[in-house]
Amino acid sequence: MQVSFRACSLQDLTPGEGLRIDSVSPPIAVFLTEEGTVHAIDDTCTHQDASLAAGWVEDCRVECPLHESTFSLTTGEVDQPPAKKRVRVHSVQVQGDDVMVELSQEAPNLPPGVKA
Amino acid sequence: MMYEQRSGAPLPPEGHVLIVGAGLAGYHTARGVRANGHTGPITIFGEENRPAYDRPALSKAYLTGAAAEEDLLLDDPEDPLDVTWVSGVGVVRLSGSADGTEPLGVHTHDGAFHPGDAVVITTGAYAMSLPAASSEEGLGARPYVLRNMEDALALRDTTLEGLDVAVVGGGFLALEAAATCTERGAGSVTVAAGEEHPGARRLGRPVGEAIRAAHEAHGVRFASASRAQAVRSCHRGHEVILADGETITADIVICAIGARPRTEWLLGSEVTLTSDTGAVACDDTGATAVPGVYAAGDCAQWASHSSGLRPVGHWQEAVEEAAVVAAALTGADPVPLQEPYFWSDQFDLRIQGAGRIHLANEVTVAEGSPAEGNLLVHYARDGQNVGILGINRLKDVTRWRKQRRIRRTPASAAVHAAENAPFSA
Repeated sequence: MQVSFRACSLQDLTPGEGLRIDSVSPPIAVFLTEEGTVHAIDDTCTHQDASLAAGWVEDCRVECPLHESTFSLTTGEVDQPPAKKRVRVHSVQVQGDDVMVELSQEAPNLPPGVKA
Repeated sequence: MMYEQRSGAPLPPEGHVLIVGAGLAGYHTARGVRANGHTGPITIFGEENRPAYDRPALSKAYLTGAAAEEDLLLDDPEDPLDVTWVSGVGVVRLSGSADGTEPLGVHTHDGAFHPGDAVVITTGAYAMSLPAASSEEGLGARPYVLRNMEDALALRDTTLEGLDVAVVGGGFLALEAAATCTERGAGSVTVAAGEEHPGARRLGRPVGEAIRAAHEAHGVRFASASRAQAVRSCHRGHEVILADGETITADIVICAIGARPRTEWLLGSEVTLTSDTGAVACDDTGATAVPGVYAAGDCAQWASHSSGLRPVGHWQEAVEEAAVVAAALTGADPVPLQEPYFWSDQFDLRIQGAGRIHLANEVTVAEGSPAEGNLLVHYARDGQNVGILGINRLKDVTRWRKQRRIRRTPASAAVHAAENAPFSA
């Protein structure tokens, strides 16, 4: 059964930045775009252990804070190496101030050496 | 030296692009050329008998065994680039001349000539090593280096448990190797960094202190600040000889003392090599002295590098140069180079630097301290902020880079702006 959980409050989010939520495993990242939309994806880059919540958000994509790969906040797909695999996208509902997230049931694409 | 910007016509859509060197710069050039819509053939020549791979993990996850060869591959087997790979064949000569009388192309080791409509030189660099000094045990001293997968594989296949390891070099590659060998259970790891606090000369004393503290906390020892001069065999294995006479005895010696451009195959060609390092001299689009011939990555020195405006040898630099060359080749909108950027992982330190740190004459600790692994350093030149370095400060470094991102301007807009400039040359 899929259940959504309260990941954070809207007030916790900064436009153009991400927030790492590590109460779930693997951790997820919640983003508030400059345009005001809220998205949730896996927090760990699929290339190497790096928190995408610390990455650079532009045009509804986040660039890994270490390297060049960017991930779509809506589909999770990656544009260029070094990462090759997509991240999972989790569904988000904003209820008042609460950001509610329902985790994807897919298997996560974690980088080498990182276990869920 | 500078070249006039070559405003030659871009490659025709059916033109054949030859890329010499199957590393990061070569791969990204091919990728960029395709992304810009080029439909003609692309051939990538690689000397190694393996698909193009990414090198940073060779001193880290690949060396510990956490990452496998397929994890390092640049091309996605499920969505491969539309290119022809020629692997295991060295390119021995460049054909082409400034006056266009010699046909453009390359000669391979097997005697074949491959004509092309453009040649991109991305042959990278060789690892430098210490000279071997003679000893009673002979001249057999062979330090490990970490440049390609074969080098890393040799070290990965060596059992380190209980052995004494000496690492020569004070740069990130040396320090990453020291951390990895420690994590793999080496009996002792001693670094001959050539300075008391590794990285202090380039990045400032607080950063050097932070790096040294993190390594010492894991048992890494540092030799005196004197430079390593040679390595020789001894009855116990190897000895590294420092300029002040100190010697480090070790079972295994790893040299990470820099790299030199892999350009000897271009001697006798019409491209210009720099007198100091032998790098291919280019303008800031990667164009060489020969029309249709470009160079990018560690084998190249662009005008901005020659004038000291940008540092050479970083991973990011190769990726960005490849995009610039791809745009120049295909006539796409010019791609601006961003602020220089580098990173390193050592034990639990994730170090990231951005900007013109090499130009700074002032280093300020903005937050954190060297002992805590949370340092944030600002660099200034004559009072003007030129760079940042963070240890475990991904967000701070991301913000700094984001604020300084230079957006790509459409070629038409750039031309328009130039036309409207009052005194444009």
